[in-house]
Amino acid sequence: MNPALSELGRIYPPERLLVQPGQLVPYESDALTAFRARPLAVVLPETTDEVVQTIGWCARHKVPYVARGSGTSLSGGSLPVEGGLVIGLNRMNKLLRLDPAERVAVVQPGFINLEVSNAAAPYGLYYAPDPSSQPVSTIGGNLAFNSGGAHCLKYGMTSNHVLGAKVVLPTGEIVELGSQSLEGVGPDWLGLFVGSEGLMGIAVEVTLRLLPKPEKYHTVLAAYDSLEKAGNAVAAVVASGLLPGAMEIMDHLAIEAAEAAVKAGYPMDARALLIVELEGEAPEVEAEARHLGDVIAASGAYEVRVARDADERAKIWKGRKAAFSAVGRLSPDYLVQDGVVPRSKLGQALLEIERLSQQYGLRVANVFHAGDGNLHPLILYDGKVKGQLEQAEALAGEILKLCVSLGGSITGEHGVGMEKKAYMPAMFSQADLALMRRIRRAVDPDELANRGKMFPHSEAPALTPHGPHPLEKAGVIWRE
Amino acid sequence: MNEGLLIRPSEVAEVQEAVRAHPKSLPRGGGTKAALSTPREGQAVLDMTGLSGVLEYDPAEYVLVALAGTPLAEVEALLARHGQYLPFDPPLAELGATLGGTVAAGLSGPMRQRYGGVRDFILGVRFVDGEGEVVRGGGKVVKNAAGFDLPKLMVGSLGRLGVLVELAFKVFPFPKATATLKVTFDRLEEALEAMYKLASSPLEFYALDLETNPATLTLRLGGQPEALPSRLERLRAFLGHPPDTHTLLLEGEKERDYWRFVGRLEWGHGYLVKVPIQPSRIAGLERELPAGMRRYISAGNLLYLNWPDSIEKLDNLLKSQGLRGLVLRGDAEPAVSETLKSPLIGVDWEHSFARRVTAALDPHNRFSPNP
Amino acid sequence: MQHKIDTQSIGPQGEVMAHAVEACVHCGFCLPACPTYAVLGEEMDSPRGRIFLMKEVLEGNLQLEEAAPYIDKCLGCLGCVTACPSGVPYGELISTFRGWAEPRRHRSPFARAFRLGIMELLPYPKRFRAGAQLGRIGKVFKPLLPQALQAPLELLPERLEPAPPLPEFFPAKGPRRARVALLAGCAQQVLKPNFNWATLRVLAENGVEVVIPSGQACCGAAAMHTGERGRALALARQNLKAFPNDVDAILSNAAGCGSGLREYGLLFVGEPEHEAAEAFSKRVQDVSAFLVNLGLVEPPALKQPLKVAYHDACHLAHAQGVRSEPRKLLRSIGGLELVEIPEGELCCGSAGTYNLEQPAIAATLGERKARNILATGAQAIATGNIGCFTQIQSHLRKLRREVPMYHTLEILDLAYQGKL
Ligand SMILES: Cc1cc2nc3c(=O)[nH]c(=O)nc-3n(C[C@H](O)[C@H](O)[C@H](O)COP(=O)(O)OP(=O)(O)OC[C@H]3O[C@@H](n4cnc5c(N)ncnc54)[C@H](O)[C@@H]3O)c2cc1C
Ligand code: SF4
Ligand code: SF4
Repeated sequence: MNPALSELGRIYPPERLLVQPGQLVPYESDALTAFRARPLAVVLPETTDEVVQTIGWCARHKVPYVARGSGTSLSGGSLPVEGGLVIGLNRMNKLLRLDPAERVAVVQPGFINLEVSNAAAPYGLYYAPDPSSQPVSTIGGNLAFNSGGAHCLKYGMTSNHVLGAKVVLPTGEIVELGSQSLEGVGPDWLGLFVGSEGLMGIAVEVTLRLLPKPEKYHTVLAAYDSLEKAGNAVAAVVASGLLPGAMEIMDHLAIEAAEAAVKAGYPMDARALLIVELEGEAPEVEAEARHLGDVIAASGAYEVRVARDADERAKIWKGRKAAFSAVGRLSPDYLVQDGVVPRSKLGQALLEIERLSQQYGLRVANVFHAGDGNLHPLILYDGKVKGQLEQAEALAGEILKLCVSLGGSITGEHGVGMEKKAYMPAMFSQADLALMRRIRRAVDPDELANRGKMFPHSEAPALTPHGPHPLEKAGVIWRE
Repeated sequence: MNEGLLIRPSEVAEVQEAVRAHPKSLPRGGGTKAALSTPREGQAVLDMTGLSGVLEYDPAEYVLVALAGTPLAEVEALLARHGQYLPFDPPLAELGATLGGTVAAGLSGPMRQRYGGVRDFILGVRFVDGEGEVVRGGGKVVKNAAGFDLPKLMVGSLGRLGVLVELAFKVFPFPKATATLKVTFDRLEEALEAMYKLASSPLEFYALDLETNPATLTLRLGGQPEALPSRLERLRAFLGHPPDTHTLLLEGEKERDYWRFVGRLEWGHGYLVKVPIQPSRIAGLERELPAGMRRYISAGNLLYLNWPDSIEKLDNLLKSQGLRGLVLRGDAEPAVSETLKSPLIGVDWEHSFARRVTAALDPHNRFSPNP
Repeated sequence: MQHKIDTQSIGPQGEVMAHAVEACVHCGFCLPACPTYAVLGEEMDSPRGRIFLMKEVLEGNLQLEEAAPYIDKCLGCLGCVTACPSGVPYGELISTFRGWAEPRRHRSPFARAFRLGIMELLPYPKRFRAGAQLGRIGKVFKPLLPQALQAPLELLPERLEPAPPLPEFFPAKGPRRARVALLAGCAQQVLKPNFNWATLRVLAENGVEVVIPSGQACCGAAAMHTGERGRALALARQNLKAFPNDVDAILSNAAGCGSGLREYGLLFVGEPEHEAAEAFSKRVQDVSAFLVNLGLVEPPALKQPLKVAYHDACHLAHAQGVRSEPRKLLRSIGGLELVEIPEGELCCGSAGTYNLEQPAIAATLGERKARNILATGAQAIATGNIGCFTQIQSHLRKLRREVPMYHTLEILDLAYQGKL
């Protein structure tokens, strides 16, 4: 073992310092398998102190690192830096405190999203952000990517539900951002940290806000014979002044996949399904449900179902939430995009995606958060067919540019990561990016934290002037 | 009194020029928060009211984009015509506050209870940084995760990180009907207990405010008109049907007037201070505070306080309670800000992350009041 | 997931494995369902990690011995299959991979002898009984034995129950509603002979006549899941011959054996009897599912209310999708309150020969399961698998909190007899 690594061995017992190929290989990718990179080592800290020491080690030896929760990032966020360190936080998974009276939970970063709601359930509380990956993804990962879910329009994303975080900065300093209050004074430092994709340090403790569970849900499933009609229905709901908790659309490919995966009982002949959910106080929801019923009835749905109980509601959502992975049943490989368009441009965007799909000869399945205009086109391809990955990537790129040209964004919730960094200039000017980079360097002068992500052309910048890295000389890491 | 320079740019380029031309500058919107907008020695004032107007607004998108100097009142009137509103309910609109000033001060009002504060509704910003560059963060759609969240960073930035020139917000439909119930309790403890219970219940409020003299909860309901009577009934039942002498129902024009009045935060002489707080700290703080006007909003998460005494005393008091505050205005304007070392009082939360990020945005220290 | 597995050179089994790898999209939804991930918290000990490792080995990028420790730790509980939205047939992948890998493994002589010992003992009730008797004597010397041999001893009961030989035929009571063949199971014949007797009585009570073919062998699941394909094939061939065709179904009352029989189709991939094996597999049912389909004769209500926790055996719930049926049977007993066990989908750590080969992990899982069961406050525990039964019982004992345990069919049996 080289000297730097053996120094790391003084922080970690051997079973938590992984260096064998058989141990490293499984960490090479996150949920975006199109990219992979072999880390130098993986460490599995169990305490804040170990994280601080690890960051200190990285800073001394100028070794880049990536924090990893459950590795479900869809944009290469938790993809290792070649030859860098992976800091696996999934063992820091304790619930530190649950205060039902103040409605806050303090958790370690490896705590699983869904577990927060499970822990809060006995008190009639829940944690609102519900990414489809909620049974798997960690609060640390959610924080880094400001993850959203089906219920974002009304209640916001992760950022709107994080009150405070204890963070180990890339310099090894520990800072407390935010507080336990919903309000603050002075710049919203926590707001900046959330969604910074692991580029500004590692969250080791997170304070979350819990909400009272809605008294009543009203979940409607409407089937349409065209995507366009479903899209128009969304517009009609919005125009009626209703503010549903969620509005989701799935197209026929996604329906087919989800149905095969979880037998949600979706109408299989539908070209598009719309899920609309109202939630809140019972009398209010009942009143809104009548209005919603009128709007949906007038929207040209050929079948409308209302969930009669919690089980039926769960079934409807299970299908929706399994849809991504379920698409794996239709195709050996896929890329997911998550561009956003103004809601009124949804129809146009979908038509254009359809056209691009035909042009490239690749199938595209659509499941999306219609309420926020957040598309999730899943581009199906077969990596075994030569050139198809490149085709799929090109198609994905066109979809991103389309979103920007319609006035939207390249990502609504999955983040930029590795995958979309080349498209950042489509959305931001040189000056915008330069400033963001300046902030990044102010916080992390050597750009060690998640190096190579988010910014275009961001490979190993700080290294160049320093000459070959000690580990590089030792033949442990290399650059290509 | 500072005889500083006053510049009133009417274009973004002029803001850039002004920033570059002056070693120190302080943006000002409507001037409704004098403690934040009164210049110190050597600071040029950038009067932002010349950069005014709504740029984009399509009610179907729930998005509004406007220049930073746009008066809140103008925005709210436009939204109201389409049955929408700014859900963070910014205060001081009637007194002439602007969008930019509201964001920079980080102010939200009672209705933040329902969906969140200004940080939860800001989608995008354009601002001039300390190099005089115009930069943009966020976007103009209701959801966006690309790049660092600069819009949130600017909330509460007090002009120290850049001069805001354009802002994008998420907006929502205003409830079709509203009603407000005021419930007075014999003791503060009872009111606090009821506040806890209400906030943890599935009952939904547009506002859940606590006043202390006498201990009163003000509860605003909103939604479909046909559901409102039964919801009020449920609310009364939840509260255990307090005798009528203790409750007051406000509806219609009366109700709207009441909230308009609350939004002025005009409580006579003394300083107006924003204090973020948690419900569990209220009782402790109340034991130390003198009688006077104040309002805890959003179920005890934010205190707007009228402070009749010296700021040093309040500073010490907040420190002893582990709290922090932001002085918004005082009665002896504008001298107030000269006696104030900083409008930020109470516990000092300065940390390395703040210093580093500030240095990146304002490398030449143009926006800091200090040399 | 993209792969470069050379299916041509590996053959039909390569196809099976490549298909599973291809279906995995690396989403990680299986992580929370995996007991080894829950205990060890490492990617290589998760289903997603193992799939990646197997892929790398099959592609030739990784030495088998590098991956082996993590593949070995897989319980084969198939919790991941239930959790996977993408429909990855993980069970087929791991069984096939183990079969492919076994001849390529470098095992220490001790490990080989140990595995051989298990394989020569478990499938043969007579030998197993003799071994178990010896083992009881061995308990006295336990502290002197190597670690690997201590664990199996702990699972042995203090005293073996007498096991009267099973009949070849057990008639129905009253009019005959169906005729079935029963697989008697190896370990349970020795450790809990009453499982089979209770099953026979309940079936009879429901108008089902049962044949117990004398030529039957061990199902071969243990051999198959540890990569001993040849041994598994030999046992399976014997069963294909032994079981008659003139029955409505082939029943098993041990989750592991039942799912073993249902895997014959996979086991025989590339063999001449493949089709026959597939057909055989389709006729196999767990006794609980069979009874629910047939329509249970309602048992009399209990004299006193009883709170029962039902433990899902992995090889019923995950491997065969049998979850609701045993619950339905239990609920049909008046006065019986059924409670769910927290983390119910997590394996108890028994999993065939697992607690013999990975005693430390098995023990952690066993204790976790025992604590979760105790948290329900149940007065009795029901399950449909001998492995889970002994594992849970031994861990409850270690916590000094014994709760009466039954096979699901034993509870029905007692209810019919009015003894509960
Ligand atoms: C099937 C599927 C469905 C999905 N659905 C959604 C969805 O609906 N909405 C959505 O928003 N996303 C979704 N995602 C994306 C993904 O689940 C989220 O981005 C999630 O937040 C990642 O969590 P993780 O624990 O897996 O983090 P990882 O993938 O391990 O890490 C993600 C990023 O966070 C950083 N990070 C992790 N922990 C920390 C920490 N403690 N401090 C600082 N940085 C840290 C990592 O460095 C990395 O950059 C989905 C993914 C899949 C596979
Ligand atoms: S859930 Fe299925 S597709 Fe997802 S990683 Fe696990 S095995 Fe692969
Ligand atoms: S079979 Fe069980 S132990 Fe093996 S990978 Fe799947 S869930 Fe984990």
